[in-house]
Amino acid sequence: MIKFDQVSKTYPGGHRALEKVSFELGNGELAFLTGHSGAGKSTLLKLISVMERPSAGHVFINGVDLNSVSNRQIPFVRRDIGIIFQNHRLLERYNVFDNVALPLVIEGMHHKHIAKRVNAALDKVGLLNKVRCQPNTLSGGEQQRVGIARAIVNSPPLLLADEPTGNLDPELSMEILKLFEDFNRHGTAVLIATHDLGLIARMKYRSLTLSHGRMSQDPLSEERL
Amino acid sequence: MSLLFKGRDAQTSSQNKSWFLRCYFFMLTVFRQGINSLGEMWRTPMASLMTILVLGLSLTLPATLYIVVKNVQQVSSGFSDASEISLFVKESMSEQQTQTLAKRLALYPEIANVKLISKSQALDEFKRISGFGQALDYLEENPLPNVVLVTPTSRYRKPQAAQQLLDKLESEREVEFGKLDIEWLERLNALLSLLKESVVTIALLLLSAVILIIGNTIRLSIMDKKAEIQVLKLVGATNTFIHTPFIWTGVWYGIVGGLVAFICVAMMLWWLESAVSMVAGVYQSAFVLQGLNGNELMILLLLAVSLGFGGSFLSVHRYIKDIEPDKV
Repeated sequence: MIKFDQVSKTYPGGHRALEKVSFELGNGELAFLTGHSGAGKSTLLKLISVMERPSAGHVFINGVDLNSVSNRQIPFVRRDIGIIFQNHRLLERYNVFDNVALPLVIEGMHHKHIAKRVNAALDKVGLLNKVRCQPNTLSGGEQQRVGIARAIVNSPPLLLADEPTGNLDPELSMEILKLFEDFNRHGTAVLIATHDLGLIARMKYRSLTLSHGRMSQDPLSEERL
Repeated sequence: MSLLFKGRDAQTSSQNKSWFLRCYFFMLTVFRQGINSLGEMWRTPMASLMTILVLGLSLTLPATLYIVVKNVQQVSSGFSDASEISLFVKESMSEQQTQTLAKRLALYPEIANVKLISKSQALDEFKRISGFGQALDYLEENPLPNVVLVTPTSRYRKPQAAQQLLDKLESEREVEFGKLDIEWLERLNALLSLLKESVVTIALLLLSAVILIIGNTIRLSIMDKKAEIQVLKLVGATNTFIHTPFIWTGVWYGIVGGLVAFICVAMMLWWLESAVSMVAGVYQSAFVLQGLNGNELMILLLLAVSLGFGGSFLSVHRYIKDIEPDKV
């Protein structure tokens, strides 16, 4: 699904965020991406969603080299990736329904189909009763789940999550992770960046660890090599 | 349209749609965004109202100047068409002789029309218009001469030809002297073209101001919605999708601003109408103040809309580019 081939990223100003990172995430795989603050987790996710371009090396999604994607094509890449943020990034002016419907509206879907899919997505995250609420009337966990519903509403084959449990207590975090597990069971590849090591320990999934911009231990890729 | 996953098209919206249908859905989205941005203006009435009023007033000034030129032109075209020669008949000539003169002149090939104004007619008119009224009754005799108004045929209306005709007419036995007002007409025309030029210049200045005003308003609105634009870019909105609402806002500003200008002009004309008809009455003219007709209203609106479009287009292309999701 995702393949990094000797990817380096140096920001203007000389900060080296990633150095020769190589790894592969299989189709339908769920993996954690961990590392200390500033290790390059966010940069790695930004490279996948083409918010940043690598300074060297190649990033492939489903075999397509992202270096070959022009700026005009970026929106179409992002439509295939569901992205979840720590601060959930909901639009305060719109209610829950409109927030979740956003990716579908952008694709120009007919409003009849939109309603069906939005309700299905909200049902999955257990917020069907909050359809007409404004985001700021919801709790942190609920807002995060609205963000997740928005990310999965157009059933993308790939989900990226950047510290999705950062602001939540362990119980809520577990709930959110259960959701990811559920999507993963339905065939979606999931990559979760987090520094919540306790959480990772409780779940038996592969974890990719970044340290100072280098991928330090990736047992699977070592095996492959 | 899926770029990375070829098979994915089938489950999303653009499934097996013809080019025509896709076009239709695109237009539908654009139209819906238009309605939405109108709704948004409605939700922030104060800010929108101020912008709209500034636009309306900026458009009112050139529109007013245009109307002034149009009406002055109407008046002056009335003058130049007539290009009359007034012949003042000698005091010694009787009514009879004056009438004979008029009949003789009517036969001239250079002359299209002859009108006789007798001294008594002239006195009546003078009484009515001048406001001296009764005072004139104390005059023992009518001091006004008989006048023959001669309208030359179109060939003899040009300044030089008219002058020659005047010379010829002045040599008539009954005529004391003739008067041809060509010079003031030329001056009027020169003034008129100066006025037209200045209207164009002022209009250009004000219209560029309108573009800048709309551009700046849209820029502020873009800055205000920075977070929203970032999210839109993150969930895969194309630039067109993000730009369209702002362009619409500019277009709406243009439409409403144009209407405001039209209403301002109409109110101003209504206000001036009675004064103008009084002046026209004094000059014995059937002059009616002309406002903007349907075509001109359309042009005004079209102009306003294209200015709105232009302003927002500039802003959108300049500022939305810089808003990228990673720069939080």
